Amino acid sequence: MHQCWLPILLEVFLLITCTINKLQPFRLSGETASFIIRKMKALKYLCILLLYFFYSCRKVTDSFNTDEKLSLEIPAYFPQPKYNFEGNPLTREGFELGRRLFYDPILSIDSSLSCGSCHAQVHAFADHNVSVSVGVFGRKGTRNALPTFNLIFMPLFNWDGGVNHIEMQPTAPLLNHDEMDITMAEVLRRLRNHPEYPKLFKRVFGTDEISARDFLYALTQFQGAIISSDSKYDKYLQGKAQLTAEELEGLALFYQHCSSCHAGPLQTDFAFRSNGLEWNRHEEGRYHITLDSADFQKFRTPSLRNVALTRPYMHDGRFNTLQAVLDHYSELGRSKPAPDYTDPKLKDGIPLSESDKEKIIAFLHTLSDFSLLSNSNYSEPRLK
Amino acid sequence: MKKLLSIAIVLLAFSCSKDDNPSDNPADLKGALEIKFEHVWGQNAAPFALNQEMTHPSGQKMTFTTLKYYISNIKLKKADGTDWIQPESYYIVDAAQTPEAKITIPDVPAGDYVEVSFLIGVDSLRNTSGAQVGALSPEHGMFWSWNTGYIFIKAEGSSPDSPTGTFTYHIGGFQGEHNAIRSRTINFNGAVLMVKPNAKPSIHLMVNAGRFWHGGVQLSQVNRVHMPGANASMLATNFVGGISFDHLHN
Repeated sequence: MHQCWLPILLEVFLLITCTINKLQPFRLSGETASFIIRKMKALKYLCILLLYFFYSCRKVTDSFNTDEKLSLEIPAYFPQPKYNFEGNPLTREGFELGRRLFYDPILSIDSSLSCGSCHAQVHAFADHNVSVSVGVFGRKGTRNALPTFNLIFMPLFNWDGGVNHIEMQPTAPLLNHDEMDITMAEVLRRLRNHPEYPKLFKRVFGTDEISARDFLYALTQFQGAIISSDSKYDKYLQGKAQLTAEELEGLALFYQHCSSCHAGPLQTDFAFRSNGLEWNRHEEGRYHITLDSADFQKFRTPSLRNVALTRPYMHDGRFNTLQAVLDHYSELGRSKPAPDYTDPKLKDGIPLSESDKEKIIAFLHTLSDFSLLSNSNYSEPRLK
Repeated sequence: MKKLLSIAIVLLAFSCSKDDNPSDNPADLKGALEIKFEHVWGQNAAPFALNQEMTHPSGQKMTFTTLKYYISNIKLKKADGTDWIQPESYYIVDAAQTPEAKITIPDVPAGDYVEVSFLIGVDSLRNTSGAQVGALSPEHGMFWSWNTGYIFIKAEGSSPDSPTGTFTYHIGGFQGEHNAIRSRTINFNGAVLMVKPNAKPSIHLMVNAGRFWHGGVQLSQVNRVHMPGANASMLATNFVGGISFDHLHN
């Protein structure tokens, strides 16, 4: 660690000459940037020093501070996180290790796909506008990939809620035959024989005997730290931006017609419901997990954050546009019969005029968080 | 001054009593024990082996390729009625282990024990607590990734009586009516297991691998169980009924 001090001293000099109110030289992007800048305002010198300490270390030497804690900037109006990194303290190094794993194709059996292949930052960590994802050897699954942001607020994972803990979520795509089709034992074998991972794990977890738990901890640090809370709608809630008249009317219509299920700041009640889609014959929905016949064709109410960036829609990606989604809800129970298993709230559909739909769609676009797409902290790391 | 001196002497006396060598205190003595799982076939305890065709009393034939299960939450009862509960008590018993499947329980307080109890499966808490290590690490393949939870008992093999030619029993489930966690209490029938330092007494159990098909279960109907549910619960109950006490080694 002593190797770090030289560049730090140099950079402290640089810093002083830079002047504190000119923060451009240190600008990161997106969430982390705004978070860090806000913190800086409170503790300017200390924070900048710490930040520089860390960055200069990263550039110069391998033996850097493993203890640098990361804290997440979460708006006060967000729900309480379900996951608090208890037992898995969030550190810069843990986050970076998880990020590297997230983008590493050695986690798929034929080394062709990484997590990031189907959870692409440019699409708000959903797949590349395909209805169902393509796994190893061109295999097709049956579901549309859900975006991987704001995961720490989720009580259950996947469309059917089959996964009960954020740390266990990665095992689902890893082991799935139609996705990455690998075993945990094989993942560990590859990581343990890798020229760099044992060293990276040792830095974060203090041991180079890579365990499945530490592997899952690292992935959780990265995925759990991806928070999307910088949409136009957030800025509106924070009093920093105005919505247009059309967006405001859309917001009012959304509250009136949609928010009993798409509830709260994340636009989800975290429940499992059937929204009256015709059965695609592949999927039983939550029934597959609970074997309760009342759960047939139920899928989770998805968050609508970044919804305009994550087409296509529904659990099987059957609708390509938001217009098609709203058409479904307005036709349901009218021109389109509602199946028996349809949620009681939707049996008669949602009465929406064409102009209502346009306004709601305008509002839904305010849920797009473009800084999530450009935040370099979340992007594929450039390896030396 | 005298007062101070006497206080010092009293303190010294007390501190001396704390310095006693802990190994002199019988309550601190510890030892290890083993639990041996002898896999047998049928009530006559005929020899059982993987990769060998076995004939069930019902006439069905089957060849096991895998038989593994979780034993957890081990508790030992002393002759005086007190219990010792093993912390972090999770083991996978694998019938492929040779010459015999056994697990070692370390750091057991010395004493005379008359009963052991354990779960076949994993308690619900550890099914909902995220990533785990040791026997509970998902790398052992005793785990469902799509429906979070441990596979408590895994039996796989082939059978001419199954329409698919195979059987796959992945038995688990920790919730509600599909709870497949089973507990078993094994009384030593008056015998006493003596745990002490530098000894490794053992509890010898018999496990009847044919017990899955107890009560008329037919491979023609039940040959693929891969999630919690009524069949998993039924097979768990059957399997646990086939675990019995044989003898102790002191």
